[in-house]
Amino acid sequence: MTARLIMKLRVEKMRFTTPDVLHMQLVHPLRPALPEWSAGAHVDLRMPDGRVRQYSLCGDPDDSSKYEIAIKREAAGRGGSIWSHENIREGSEVHISAPRNNLPLSAKGERYILIAGGIGITPLLSMARTLKRWGKDFTLHYCARSASAAPLLAELRDICGPSLQCWFSGSGPRFDPAAIGPYNKDTHVYICGPQRLLDAVQSALSEWPEDQVHGEVFQMTVDENFKPEPFEATVVSTGARFLVPADKSLLDVLRDNDFVMPSSCEMGVCGACECGYRDGVVLHRDKVLPSSKRQDRLMLCVSRARVSVTLDL
Amino acid sequence: MNVYAPPRPPPKMTEAFEHPAGFIAARKAGGATQWRGKLLHIHVAPSASYEMEELQEAECVAGRGIIGDRYYNGTGTYSPKPDVREVTLIEQEALDALSRNDPPLQDGPITLEPRDHRRNLTVVGVPLNHLVGRRFRVGDVILRGGRLNFPCKYLEELLGLPLFLPLYNRSGLNCGIERSGIIRLGDAIELLDQ
Repeated sequence: MTARLIMKLRVEKMRFTTPDVLHMQLVHPLRPALPEWSAGAHVDLRMPDGRVRQYSLCGDPDDSSKYEIAIKREAAGRGGSIWSHENIREGSEVHISAPRNNLPLSAKGERYILIAGGIGITPLLSMARTLKRWGKDFTLHYCARSASAAPLLAELRDICGPSLQCWFSGSGPRFDPAAIGPYNKDTHVYICGPQRLLDAVQSALSEWPEDQVHGEVFQMTVDENFKPEPFEATVVSTGARFLVPADKSLLDVLRDNDFVMPSSCEMGVCGACECGYRDGVVLHRDKVLPSSKRQDRLMLCVSRARVSVTLDL
Repeated sequence: MNVYAPPRPPPKMTEAFEHPAGFIAARKAGGATQWRGKLLHIHVAPSASYEMEELQEAECVAGRGIIGDRYYNGTGTYSPKPDVREVTLIEQEALDALSRNDPPLQDGPITLEPRDHRRNLTVVGVPLNHLVGRRFRVGDVILRGGRLNFPCKYLEELLGLPLFLPLYNRSGLNCGIERSGIIRLGDAIELLDQ
């Protein structure tokens, strides 16, 4: 659980990088330097109605004077991107949290394979900048329908040069995970894009150690077969017990009982509401905790338990 | 753009001299006299976790807080337990000590800017730790010292700075507002008779 400062930033520059993706630069109206971040980090954008959306930073992590984000208009989305497209203009004030990184770039590798699908390019663009600075060998595979539908393509070409490999399905072959090549203990793979891309790459690399294959998807997996059951939560510090009904989350129940808990996406992808637990069979359902942490950490917004769980609160 | 504020009742305030600390101190003689201080900065945050914003002047409302601040608005991070939090103050001297790494509790000096410490008023020449149970004047506004502020882990997390230990025992004063009014930068701060 970490609190993050929320800042009122100004949209310094804004342009369409494709017909449906807005690319914007954000600056602080008073401070010359924004909070530091590293490649793979995202910020929260807070809308006036209280909704919060996560966007990966796609600019240069070494430039603390501005943040860059790209927002794709998702007609079938939950409405956040449409709000942004309709309301944000150059000069607008936007409420942005300090960055958090759920997809940090490991410095241990000798070679890196970055695989992006569409708007999933954003964190990988900042990774490409960092890898170039580190002098590391990398290839960026970029999957999109066409060059004109590929966000930030000009910047990528500029940064990556021959390390950029585009897979435009409208005019050529689709990305084939075979392009990643054989396993190598010094290679790290980063994937960001739609679930099916993540699934395809992860199943192709199922023999690889987990700590060399890193993926991020900013979209909840809808498991239609999951039937939430009520369970009991115990707070270890006070012994208080709460019933979590089937239609409420742990986060809701704790808040109803006057616990002040941070949260952000409330769909198991951002990591804001992480909490420790002691015993109980936890049904995690989140997209952010690595399996190494699932033994004793859970996400209050989506994780549930069989019968009971004891929370480290 | 407006800050989103979920519908929520404003925080319950404890009257400063009803707080156990203020209650005891107000019934005892003592404390520091013969000082005169000055208001250096006024800051408010529109909502929990939002950056503090500097004001040249601000309106203090008895029983509520500073207009525009999260506690006045009812949009702060607070427990449902009533507490003294209408106005919070911190000494510039404490911030100066941190910037000298004095005492040397950390690897090096910590710069804690007035806009970052999340107390409302930054003051100089005011012995805040001696003002629990005392009435004092900031410009035309009268404040009542309710309890010492206590450093919180939340601030450490928010700023990413190891502040908990260096702020221990000099984290400021939580006050109630006895007389409403306007405060301005440079206002004199003086002890009043009980």
